[in-house]
Amino acid sequence: MSVTAGEVSDDALLVLYANGDSRAAAELTARLGPRVFGVAMRVMGIRAEAEDVTQEAMLRLWKMAPDWRPGEAQVSTWLYRVAMNLCIDRKRRARGGYVDLDAVPEPPDPGRSAAEQLQEGARHDALQAALMQLPERQRQAVVLRHLEELSNPEIAGIMDISTEAVESLTARGKRALAAALAGRREELGYSDG
Amino acid sequence: MADTDKSLQELEDLFAAARSAPPALPDHLSTAILADAARVQPGFQPAEPPRQPLWRQLTEALGGWPTLGGLAAASAAGLWIGVAPPSFVPDPAALAGYEDNSTAFADGSYDMALMLSEDLQ
Repeated sequence: MSVTAGEVSDDALLVLYANGDSRAAAELTARLGPRVFGVAMRVMGIRAEAEDVTQEAMLRLWKMAPDWRPGEAQVSTWLYRVAMNLCIDRKRRARGGYVDLDAVPEPPDPGRSAAEQLQEGARHDALQAALMQLPERQRQAVVLRHLEELSNPEIAGIMDISTEAVESLTARGKRALAAALAGRREELGYSDG
Repeated sequence: MADTDKSLQELEDLFAAARSAPPALPDHLSTAILADAARVQPGFQPAEPPRQPLWRQLTEALGGWPTLGGLAAASAAGLWIGVAPPSFVPDPAALAGYEDNSTAFADGSYDMALMLSEDLQ
């Protein structure tokens, strides 16, 4: 069996890794690493912190592999949960972090004009800046719901809260984001629409 | 109300743009993650097969429960035939040339009833 086959579940890959298959680790890293890193970037706002969170979360995944019981939970859900808790721990320790706008990637898009790319970059930055204004839990819920597109029950499992609490957090978060971005419409290129 | 709807729609556009360009995993981070995986992996103990009790090992060595059932039935039948042999089964002692004289008294004049009656008097 090839561990790089797309149909192999995360569960099976983790079991393969625990049984000594090093290719399974590479496949899991390729699948889950970017997702954890993306969430950590959005929640932490600082690239170096997001990298540390991602590496630590993945390290915990490797260590937990022999004890993993396939079918009981999704590996990605478990990993998101670990990552979110690591983010909270780091935020608590940091006490008043700052927004590293330069850390937010601006993907190159040769098909667009420089002005369009700048505006797109400004929108990314504006969204990240607005996200960083939200309380920690609201930010987590909004990122998981609207950027990772997870379901409310899954987010509830990750954040260890009720589905209703997730709905409340995301609704309040979206309102706060909309209000924060309203003042930047012209700058973001929405004034003409 | 219209402004709110507009703001929320703009926010949805921003979400969509962010989803379409997720941050890539930096190469050095991917390398570090895989190095961690390679470092942790050798520490895993291979899962040991569960130890089986002796009786189960013996059972399986003999061929499992069906074999044991037959063995038990054969043993019971042998014991029964030995204790109460059917009439058509020849006496093994007689076949071996031994005479069964366990019920013959050495002294033919010995009378248990007479002895008991003497004791009572």
